[in-house]
Amino acid sequence: MNFELTEEQNLIRDMVREFAEAEVAPTAALRDEEERFDRALMFDRLAELGLTGIVFPEEYGGAGADYLSYAIAVEELSRVCASTGVTLSAHLSLCANPIYLFGSEEQKRQFLVPLAQGEKLGAFGLTEPSAGSDAGGTKTTAVKDGNEWILNGTKIFITNAGDAETYVVLARTDKEALKHYGISAFIVEKGTPGFSFGKKEKKMGIRSSPTMELVFENCRIPRGQMLGEEGQGFKIAMKTLDGGRIGIASQALGIAQGALEAAVNYAKDRKQFDTPIARFQGVQFQLADMATQIEAARLLVYSSAYKAGNGLSYSQASAMAKLMASETAMRVSTQAVQILGGYGYTREFPVERMMRDAKITEIYEGTSEVQRLVIGTALTR
Amino acid sequence: MKILVCIKQVPDMESKFKIAGDGKWYDSADLVFRMNEYDEYAVEQAVRLKEQVGSADVTVLSIGGDRVKETMKKALAMGCDRGVHIADNQAWAKDPMVIAGIIAEYAGPESFSCIFTGMQSQDRGSAQTGVLLAEMLGLPCVTTIVDFSYSDGRFTVKRELEGGIKALVNVQGPAVFTCQLGLNTPRYPTLPNIMKAKKKELQSLPVEHLQKIALHQKTERLFFPEKKSGGLVLEGDAADLADRLITILKQKTAVLA
Repeated sequence: MNFELTEEQNLIRDMVREFAEAEVAPTAALRDEEERFDRALMFDRLAELGLTGIVFPEEYGGAGADYLSYAIAVEELSRVCASTGVTLSAHLSLCANPIYLFGSEEQKRQFLVPLAQGEKLGAFGLTEPSAGSDAGGTKTTAVKDGNEWILNGTKIFITNAGDAETYVVLARTDKEALKHYGISAFIVEKGTPGFSFGKKEKKMGIRSSPTMELVFENCRIPRGQMLGEEGQGFKIAMKTLDGGRIGIASQALGIAQGALEAAVNYAKDRKQFDTPIARFQGVQFQLADMATQIEAARLLVYSSAYKAGNGLSYSQASAMAKLMASETAMRVSTQAVQILGGYGYTREFPVERMMRDAKITEIYEGTSEVQRLVIGTALTR
Repeated sequence: MKILVCIKQVPDMESKFKIAGDGKWYDSADLVFRMNEYDEYAVEQAVRLKEQVGSADVTVLSIGGDRVKETMKKALAMGCDRGVHIADNQAWAKDPMVIAGIIAEYAGPESFSCIFTGMQSQDRGSAQTGVLLAEMLGLPCVTTIVDFSYSDGRFTVKRELEGGIKALVNVQGPAVFTCQLGLNTPRYPTLPNIMKAKKKELQSLPVEHLQKIALHQKTERLFFPEKKSGGLVLEGDAADLADRLITILKQKTAVLA
């Protein structure tokens, strides 16, 4: 086993870190306060740097880099701004990737290339008011009418919604079939008549990332925009989430790392009882535990990225990575607020934002409970 | 057009430095290394010149152990076409005369139209290598450039002087330029360019064939500045203070003879 990053991976880390610190970090707190998505910064700049299609082959407009490079890029962005990290992760893993895995050549040319090149932003519409962890409970319908599909229904909690141009949407095509067998995947573009956006969610964290409802009212899309086979939708969604898990695990890792660094730097400066609090064993023990847990989570994330990129089975690995990284991010960021004390509770310091941001990583793209189901089922098969 | 840019790998200046065991240089263990900041501007300017001219080739050169190749990769990812690594684990001990001599030995036969270096390195700070290189190659040299343009074989540059004044210099190529901070905005190596850098030629040449000049300087000792005691506050009337101050300056410092 080689535990060292390659020269390219190191260069990518350095580049994204430099960019994140110089351009993303300065406005992270303000964008969180204003609940403002800045597409020029949080997506267009990523496109200029070649990050929006990192893992896809050059023939589809991607950079042809590996999965670990993608994990590193999301981690470095999330270290300063979790909202920017999830913008990239949802775009690449949840929208571009299923098109890459299940799309026809024609669909890849038409939809994947602009996504990979960052001309278009992507989103993924699976969740509904009564279909969260129970994704098979999808109620949005797609009915065939000649050469078109007619979509009706509502999706909620959709990341990048409103700004994204391309949406991979799951809808029920067969009402008679058992639960998850009758679901199919579709590619829908913003501006299609009958496709509109509902309310924008007011969230606890990742407030700079837009989360909105998708509303389909007799929305007609060409037959050629079904993704994969009819009835294959649930399988597509699950495979998509397997990969998305790695993106969110990387986001959580980045949040945890940012929180740890903020806590260490503060502890070295803050004096109480004439001593920097970093000299107190109590604080040192806390920081040591935080750093150790982050390192353990990092190894899980990197190894699942390695498996995903090398054609190995990675469903269980990515579930473990997401579970570990998200719970670590929550613990570490909460502890960081504690270490910064009263100051940590104010918006003058970034740790309260990191704590608010961390919570969602335990919930979306498969709750921690679902991750435990995935792992437990695989163990006890 | 053949362009050469010479870069040096230095430690991150935010690092906690320790003196090496023999007391003659800093300990390189546990340090994070990066491209000398002045050299980033040199690389950026070299790539911009290539983009302006179109049919141009940029060679990036660096002297040091294997570790410096990481930094050379960044230069390749920023747009240099090929790398020449001069393999030398003792580069850190060599003075600018020797370093310039090694580069001159390589560059002489290559007939570069334009050579860029950083104005100085962040660790040694001699600010001599570019100038010495130009001398050895018999080329004109303009140091500390903060502005650069090229047209039809002639370079027009601004060099930074004291007090915010700049000198406008017009020079016929081939020439050597040493780059000051702020000359341009160094680009991020984009991801596709990082991937392309993998395939670019990076040859390693042993230093033995290129080093013809013996060491001119030897570093005797490297140490942290000794902590001085606090300042001295003088009180009294102006005439008396002036006398006392002159005495102190004469006796305690090298300011007055």
